[in-house]
Amino acid sequence: MARSVWKGPFVDGYLLKKAEKSRSSGRNEIIKIWSRRSTILPQFVGLTFGVYNGHKFLPVLVTENMVGHKFGEFAPTRVFQGHSAADKSAKRAEA
Amino acid sequence: MLVGVIAGAHGVRGEVRIRSFTADPADVAAYGPVSDESGARRFAVRIRSAVRGQVIARLDGVADRNAAESLKGLRLYVPRDTLPRLGKDEWYLADLIGLRAEDTAGKPLGRVKAVHNFGAGDVLEIEGAGGATQFLSFTRRAVPEVDIAGGRIVIEPPVEVEAKGEAANEADDASGRRT
Repeated sequence: MARSVWKGPFVDGYLLKKAEKSRSSGRNEIIKIWSRRSTILPQFVGLTFGVYNGHKFLPVLVTENMVGHKFGEFAPTRVFQGHSAADKSAKRAEA
Repeated sequence: MLVGVIAGAHGVRGEVRIRSFTADPADVAAYGPVSDESGARRFAVRIRSAVRGQVIARLDGVADRNAAESLKGLRLYVPRDTLPRLGKDEWYLADLIGLRAEDTAGKPLGRVKAVHNFGAGDVLEIEGAGGATQFLSFTRRAVPEVDIAGGRIVIEPPVEVEAKGEAANEADDASGRRT
């Protein structure tokens, strides 16, 4: 069952404070978090979080279309080691 | 560039099953004739269908099952320059993997082991000298320079800061577990 709308999105409070602090510092920072359950809010857009997957912190650069999802969705806990596609490309992001 | 490998014969008319390493499996035939590793044997590929993650194809000059079976395990290559030209700030994974990673002062930090995308942009996996790996967002800020010809990338690892709640800190102290 989906979460009731009247409650608003769940987010661990300290993330908001840390995000605000990181944004004001203007440094190239990665915020290491264990809170995979927190919802991505518009305040987090443009910041990079290191989301713990039980083993390592995977960098998650938050973009607008990730708002509303949980951090854990972008840091899989099981990694499939397959053959990477020959014609696949990677694009360097601006942030 | 390796685009696939022949997994076996299919049927009695000389068709083969190809395990494709392209983003879209059918693209194994999209870049012109394929060749073996030495380039001595070349085949035009015509895709017939797809089955169980592989493609069924007919290769020119392969007319019966015996000939198709003899090709089992053959790796199929296409020349690097047949792949489409990419836009600015875009590189093929095959070009990025294996590049030397250096910091801005030129100190070696390891090699690019893999490039992942878990839904939050491309992420470089850098393997250090001791085998330990670190992940880095593929952004202009973290990777200011990509020099394919020179075989290196310059990385500027971000400063790491931890975000933990009061409750999490207390739980940490008590049991070593984090929330």
